Amino acid sequence: MIRKPLVRSDVASMLFVVVPLSILIMFFLAPIASITTGLLTFDWRLLLTPFYVGLSSVVSPITVTHVGGETLIAIRGFDMGVITNSVLNALIVTLATTAIGTSVAILVGLFDFPGRRLFAALAMIPLLVAPFVNAYVVKLLYGFNLQGNTVSAVLEALGLHVKIGVAGLAGVALTQILSFYTIVYVNVLATLRAVDATLIEQAVNLGSRGFKLVRSVVLPLIAPGVFTGATLAYMLSLEDVGGPIVFSFRKVISYQVYLFFRQYALIGGGGSAAALSLLMLLLAVIPMIFLRRYLSLRYYAMLTRGAPRPLRRIKLGWLGKVVAYLVVLPILVAAAAPEIGIFVLALCHRWVGPFPTGFTLNNYAVLFSEPGVFRGIENSLIYVAIAATAIAFLGFSAGYAIARVRSVVTPALDALSITPLAVPGLVMAFGYFVFLHGIARGTPLDPLISPAVVLVIAYIVRKMPFTVRSVFAGLLQIPSSVEEAAQCLGARRLRIVKNIVLPLAWRSLAAGLLLSAVYILSEVSLSVTIGALGGDITSPNHCGPITFVMMSLIQSPSTIGGAQPQAVAAAMGTILMLLEALILFAALAKLGRRGIVSIAM
Amino acid sequence: MTRIVVDNVTKRFGRVTALRRVSLDVREGELFAILGPSGCGKTTLLRVIAGFEVPEEGRVMFDDEDVTFKRPDERGAVMVFQNWALWPHMTVYDNVAYGLKVRRLPKNEIDRRVKMVLELVGLKGLENRYPHQLSGGQQQRVALARALVVEPRVLLLDEPLTNLDARLRLRLRGEIRKIQRELGITTIYVTHDQEEALALADRVAVMWNGKVVEMGTPDEIYHRPKHLFTAFFIGKTSVAEAKVIDADGNYVLLRIGDVVIRALNHGVSVDDGSAVVVFKAENARLKPMWRDCAKLVGRVLVTMYLGASLEIRLVPHGYNRDLSFYIPIEEEIPRPGEEVEIYLPVSSVHAYPVEGLELVKEILGE
Ligand SMILES: Nc1ncnc2c1ncn2[C@@H]1O[C@H](COP(=O)(O)OP(=O)(O)OP(=O)(O)O)[C@@H](O)[C@H]1O
Ligand SMILES: [Mg+2]
Repeated sequence: MIRKPLVRSDVASMLFVVVPLSILIMFFLAPIASITTGLLTFDWRLLLTPFYVGLSSVVSPITVTHVGGETLIAIRGFDMGVITNSVLNALIVTLATTAIGTSVAILVGLFDFPGRRLFAALAMIPLLVAPFVNAYVVKLLYGFNLQGNTVSAVLEALGLHVKIGVAGLAGVALTQILSFYTIVYVNVLATLRAVDATLIEQAVNLGSRGFKLVRSVVLPLIAPGVFTGATLAYMLSLEDVGGPIVFSFRKVISYQVYLFFRQYALIGGGGSAAALSLLMLLLAVIPMIFLRRYLSLRYYAMLTRGAPRPLRRIKLGWLGKVVAYLVVLPILVAAAAPEIGIFVLALCHRWVGPFPTGFTLNNYAVLFSEPGVFRGIENSLIYVAIAATAIAFLGFSAGYAIARVRSVVTPALDALSITPLAVPGLVMAFGYFVFLHGIARGTPLDPLISPAVVLVIAYIVRKMPFTVRSVFAGLLQIPSSVEEAAQCLGARRLRIVKNIVLPLAWRSLAAGLLLSAVYILSEVSLSVTIGALGGDITSPNHCGPITFVMMSLIQSPSTIGGAQPQAVAAAMGTILMLLEALILFAALAKLGRRGIVSIAM
Repeated sequence: MTRIVVDNVTKRFGRVTALRRVSLDVREGELFAILGPSGCGKTTLLRVIAGFEVPEEGRVMFDDEDVTFKRPDERGAVMVFQNWALWPHMTVYDNVAYGLKVRRLPKNEIDRRVKMVLELVGLKGLENRYPHQLSGGQQQRVALARALVVEPRVLLLDEPLTNLDARLRLRLRGEIRKIQRELGITTIYVTHDQEEALALADRVAVMWNGKVVEMGTPDEIYHRPKHLFTAFFIGKTSVAEAKVIDADGNYVLLRIGDVVIRALNHGVSVDDGSAVVVFKAENARLKPMWRDCAKLVGRVLVTMYLGASLEIRLVPHGYNRDLSFYIPIEEEIPRPGEEVEIYLPVSSVHAYPVEGLELVKEILGE
């Protein structure tokens, strides 16, 4: 039983609640709420025009052309208007990632077969994200173009004269599926590990085998992990801008909101952005509301159960092996290929056709020699340092308050501190713009005056939940009597926190901060919107972080410092990925099973 | 020295009422035990006195000072927790010195007092160990030293010996008694171990179901329990239903099956018809050894050897259930089926109004 000590009208204790709560109200609730103000003059009928909601696709899903002795096959998916595209694409991506992620997790978590570790390792690779570059390499490998992609070149070598590839929304969907299925995988695997092994072993004893075992026993047990993973994949798909930008597919909600910052923020206009932001928020929050009970229960169960007995894996039958090696393995390889391709791109002179050419280290040199590029690295480091410092204070306060300070507003803080994870970054970006450009026009809080300040605040609010949850989970392991013992000896709250709580909980704080930091470094939505308000990378004083620079490089048509801009972006991406790998695996080792969960959130 | 008065305190947690109009009066320098089964509200009461919980109703007074709404750090009541709550990142010395550092005492004064108290609890020489390098008994002593070193107005001990083995428990409770006498700190000692409470305390409060049902010296609690729960809870007891034959202010004449016995009267009147009898069954003998005796005749159902004593399950003549009695082992051992006479001093037989039967059934979970 967790016994919360009562804290009455104790000013210091209330500070732990009130400070993070006011920050969240001011810089999370208020900006989101202020989006609605833009709607008063908005004509809603606009959203029902074919540009937003179409009844049939304006592109054919697959086009096949014969040119000379060659067959060109372009897979384009569909285009049924901005809103329909976003929703259908998100649903397709959710279904696909859930199917793949769940299957792989069950295969790796429940069964034993030669090569299992390789499968597990391959499935973890897409956890490392290099925004934009990832989509760019997907396009090189699988995208449709007339020079042919890598896959077509391989087919050519096998004697098949066919150029096949994805384009448009199909390209976006493929990119998302290949990288987001890991989120489902990680969540399902975590749930599977938390399942009491005896439940499954009992079923095996009773003669349940293979598919029947999975369907009747395993799936119901891991359902919470499946739902959580699916919800997260859905949200990520909804707010992804990397895929649409790289595949030049503008007719999704995320791209339209992004466009607001590129086209209208400075000159005014773009009235539909508010409506689209709100719609996006609604679309993101709906599944969260439906699954709320499921999600929070799962969360609770993960934290309270002690280390469960590890499952003794079941030998995979021959049919299972056939499926594993001939179906699952190719998918895993196909999904890991872009990540590996990023490292190749980073080290090559040029890669636009099917294969890269020329080894070089110049791409890394350009990171430092080009002022606009290096500026992005500097910016990111400064932003992370400031944001992490603020998160250390605010996130610790909130985590501590939720675990220990009983007050009427603590439940509000508890709920508010986790919600930023459920709100798409683009919605937040738009909310910040409307709110701060509205009430703080002309001050340093105006995103048009100092985008850097606003960006850092947004980072703090959006990435704080990782630290809050980590601190909270850490404090659950510490009996509150340890603090009460100090209190009855005469120590006041702040002193107790300094002398007793911090020395015992700093590991959780540090692990949470590392997570917050790495997610700030790889953050996209705020970075390419608010971060873009300070000019583009040709200006050495721009205030965009590295993800903004990566996007700019990916879109750039001309060489930079004698290098292919995309390759420079890849070089940047590799550094980011290595950082992510380091931090994620450090956090994973420190937090154990809990780490996986918070990473996957 | 501080007197503690708890006045009509009620504490609820949501729908659970943990304390119901609890009142206590703990005298200056007294070692006061709170005794009761698990979940009866002992810890909650202690936490109300320490200031970790604020009661919905009632007051807590330290001498003439109303401390009901004071924070724990303002009260000068120091609690020793059931899990001891030692700080794992501090040495024994730092654990003990903490309360003094909070009070900003000069360093040499801190040093002197820590040394003194560590000597008092027998931990000299272990100053630089960390808690995980200590045995359970030593950890318990650190917890005690950490509380004593600040010379608290009030010392609150929540089952301080529960996590220790039986032998160590016996030794430490003697030491706690001795130290408490020496320092004269008003102390409340919570336990569910009746022997511990009776051995240690000047006075005992018996709690049940969020209420203090009785308060008195160990002798009163054991030999002259006023409340059925106390009679039933303290010692090894057996309970029977009986018909009332006659009653006066002091005694009741009862029939259990066909057996007639005399018992101390706790509010039974002739008109009641029936009553509940509680036997302090560990005082039973096979021969009359007292002038004022109650005698039960019946058949032995089964006997069980318990080391120092023998448990006899006796079915009194004409009664439909068996009752347990415990006799010293040196007596000859009756066989199952044999007819025996069991004697108890009348002071070990207590009769209560029959309404109490419900209570007993509830306690036994029937
Ligand atoms: N913080 C709390 N929230 C809800 N219920 C509580 C809380 N603290 C205590 N209770 C309830 O109040 C009742 C009394 O609990 P308390 O811990 O005081 O009992 P106790 O006599 O100390 O038991 P034990 O001997 O097991 O320690 C129990 O029913 C318990 O479940
Ligand atoms: Mg207790």
